Amino acid sequence: MRSDSPSLVKDLPRLAVLCIAAFIVLVPYVWMLAVSVKPQDEVFRASLTLLPERWALIENYGKVLRTIPVLTFVINGLIVCFGILFFQLLFAIPAAYALAKLNFRGREILFGFVMLGLLIPYQTTALPLYMGFHQAGLLNSYTALIAPFTCSVFAIFLFRQFFKALPDDLIAAARIDGMGEFSIVWRVILPNAWPAATAFAIFSVVAHWNDLFWPLIVIQKGSLYTPAMGILAFRSVESGDDYGALMAAATLVAAPLVIAFLFAQRRFIEGVTMTGLKG
Amino acid sequence: MAGVSVSAVSKSFGVTEVLKDVSLEVRKGEFVSLVGPSGCGKTTLMRIIAGLETASSGMVTIEGRDVTNIRAADRDVAMVFQNYALYPHLTVSQNLAVPLVMRRLSALQRMPLFGRFIGDAKAKLAAISDETKRTAEMLGIAHLMDRKPAQLSGGQRQRVALGRAIVRHPRVFLMDEPLSNLDAALRVHTRAEIVALHRRVGAATVYVTHDQSEAMTMSDRVAVMMGGEILQIAAPEEIYLDPADLRVASFIGSPKINVLAAEADERGRVSVDGVPTGLLAPSRGPVTFAVRPEDIAPAGDGIPARLTHVEFLGDCALLHAETIGNKRPVICRVAPDRRPRVAIGGEISLWPDAAKSFLFDGNGKRVSAAVAKQKPAHV
Amino acid sequence: MSDAAAAAYAMAPRERSRARSLVGDGGAAWLLTLPAIIAYLLMILLPLAGVLALAFTDYEFGGTSFRWIGSENFADMLKDRTFMASIRNTVIYCFFVVPLSIGIALLLAILIEAGARGRAFFRAVFFLPVVSLTVAMATAWQYLLHPSIGPVNAVLRGLGLGTPNWLGSSDWVLMSLGMIGVWENVGFNLVLFLAGLTAIPRELYGAAEVDGAKSAWSRFALVTWPLLGPTLLFVIIITMTRSIRVFDSVQTLTQGGPNNASEVLLRTIYQEGFHYFKFGYSAAITLVFLAIVLAVMLVQTRLIDRRIHYG
Repeated sequence: MRSDSPSLVKDLPRLAVLCIAAFIVLVPYVWMLAVSVKPQDEVFRASLTLLPERWALIENYGKVLRTIPVLTFVINGLIVCFGILFFQLLFAIPAAYALAKLNFRGREILFGFVMLGLLIPYQTTALPLYMGFHQAGLLNSYTALIAPFTCSVFAIFLFRQFFKALPDDLIAAARIDGMGEFSIVWRVILPNAWPAATAFAIFSVVAHWNDLFWPLIVIQKGSLYTPAMGILAFRSVESGDDYGALMAAATLVAAPLVIAFLFAQRRFIEGVTMTGLKG
Repeated sequence: MAGVSVSAVSKSFGVTEVLKDVSLEVRKGEFVSLVGPSGCGKTTLMRIIAGLETASSGMVTIEGRDVTNIRAADRDVAMVFQNYALYPHLTVSQNLAVPLVMRRLSALQRMPLFGRFIGDAKAKLAAISDETKRTAEMLGIAHLMDRKPAQLSGGQRQRVALGRAIVRHPRVFLMDEPLSNLDAALRVHTRAEIVALHRRVGAATVYVTHDQSEAMTMSDRVAVMMGGEILQIAAPEEIYLDPADLRVASFIGSPKINVLAAEADERGRVSVDGVPTGLLAPSRGPVTFAVRPEDIAPAGDGIPARLTHVEFLGDCALLHAETIGNKRPVICRVAPDRRPRVAIGGEISLWPDAAKSFLFDGNGKRVSAAVAKQKPAHV
Repeated sequence: MSDAAAAAYAMAPRERSRARSLVGDGGAAWLLTLPAIIAYLLMILLPLAGVLALAFTDYEFGGTSFRWIGSENFADMLKDRTFMASIRNTVIYCFFVVPLSIGIALLLAILIEAGARGRAFFRAVFFLPVVSLTVAMATAWQYLLHPSIGPVNAVLRGLGLGTPNWLGSSDWVLMSLGMIGVWENVGFNLVLFLAGLTAIPRELYGAAEVDGAKSAWSRFALVTWPLLGPTLLFVIIITMTRSIRVFDSVQTLTQGGPNNASEVLLRTIYQEGFHYFKFGYSAAITLVFLAIVLAVMLVQTRLIDRRIHYG
């Protein structure tokens, strides 16, 4: 582990192995993009050429946009992800502050429930939640998509750890300055919570953008489909044979998050490392 | 024979040159400190001696053997790191044993579970265990053998790090600021222990520190480094009493040496703020005049200054003043009863002891000076 | 970054809260936690109790009545070929995905860490699958693995090798899904390993060299591997729980087929509950699923507790 970096030649075997691995990881993306601009007959020729002889970009993407409302799905995805995130932060930050910095009876019990919640995958509670939403007439609504995730025990846990590291004196000083607990949360804790909040936000958005299980359960109405459901819907309409259009659809719905990632890689990776506790 | 010899070593990281043509000899059994401000290249020099860093040019030999291109593991050096670098997953006794295990057991014998049954592994492990015990007893950490580093105090960790370094009787002993993570009291105490340990072990020792008092109190010789160069290497007394460079004079000594602008006339007579100092420079022109706080005192007819502050320290008092001519700060260390009876802000006159004052040229190099006449230092 | 990860590692913090002389935080504290408590009760605790109760009934959604049938649902599972296949497949899937995705991630992380070149690039590339919509990427894999027009088989044909029906044959389907699972998980694990590796103090490698660890391998054995221990156990837990919950790719690609060869736990729960509306039975399977997840976490946190004494 010397600080001098080895010469390029010595570094080559390492880079070669990494490049091969990177190549394998990228193969699906490359083909997805390639096939999405190929006409159907070329796809079925099963050749290994990536570039099409005849570009079918407009044909394929046009077909997707005509068949399914991709934009609606993406907007649904955004509404759901940010709706969930908003409530998660709104509920978790004050609770985490209380658990981290306030002394009150029952704190240990509450924290025990947080730890319990960490152990339970959300899929466990799907059946009763479905019954509840059915009773309340809320199936096929944004509420059904958002509400189950509003209390993120993981967010509470993460923020609690983060707040514990803030000096007690900071809060003491705020109290001496005449702030109540609510203004402490709002004016002292919140501005200091940004690193944890960004990390958590990325983790949360990635998780819910990609989720399929729950939307599949509570949503039947096409206008409320999330991006993941959108592709499934497109496949069933297309009976899955027009690969060009199918890849175009896949590209369109995968793109928003991938592009966001390419723009803010560091933050994404930090976010996931920091929140790696729950995948 | 030299324990360690570094000749004409340079090192650059990219475009920044951190070591410029550095040479250094450490005799067998000698304790040499590398001292200098942070970023002066002292740690890099030590890591080059250790083999953790390769020199861009130059040569390193250990007891006559050229080790420039030999890696750390084969150099027979031991090192104490600033943060001790103890293996956190190993107990104290395992930590102490690592250097012996790595050298004496084959890779197969080091295998977990089965390794100990291969060949003479058992006998070797028993011998290693004896040696680590002896070392631990010598350092007074025998009762901690089964603890992990996280369960030790700073001082205890430091001893384990020392133990790991001496356990295999290396030819060269390297220490990189080993006391910087200890509290003040423990630091002074440990200094003496390290010196005693060095006498017992007798290996050529290179000790890196930014703390001049550590360097001065522990070493046979001190090398003062700045900007990637060794400015002077000499015994502590010589460094203090006969500095070769203004930067050395300024770095060593507390409070710092007083530095005043001076002028030599056509006959070489040096005066500060127009007051003759009694020193003769070899040539005419501006020079830098430096005198240690204990070698300048209030006396009639000296350099006029204004008293700004007095610190009473018990055995002495520090007078802070500012020369009236050049507005330079001056500190005098005087016996408490020799404090001038002047209020703060009052005027005093300061007389430097010419025989103990130094002259430096514009580049900060020492200029030989002669004493013309000695004014009485009383009053 | 690594500090934060380390903080999150502390699954069950043992620290005693420092006693504070301030009393009377009670009212404000309960107000601050109230929204979270209500959401927790409604969205987690009550439904959890609901599942527990449902599991012992023969309730079918839409039906008007139900009976308490004790452990009958659980007895039925043992006779249910679909369920047994589902358990078996989930276990096989886990034992395929966990070691492979962790081993590959560790190897790649060490390679990335060993030099400065291309660090950010490789990290981003390997991480890409984590942020890519699983359903979309599964669709891409479906094309890649297509038996007649897929590029994978085109290459195999070119090499004169057999061309399996990756997703369509019951011999290959689990392995194919497993490969996709590895592809998805490597990046995630890799990033965690990188955080673990950068948290190892550089000085330890220097110390190891001075102490006589000559080869890269001996330095790995003396420093990297033991210090990566906590990260490794943590990554195992995460990958394990992620693999047990595999659903999206199966639902997209095979719907559990052919002939239940790729039926997995979560899909069985979904199918029994929301396709056949056998809520009681589905709840019972959910409990089995929960028990497995809890057992995995319990065993591994025990291990972690025993191992993480340094740090």
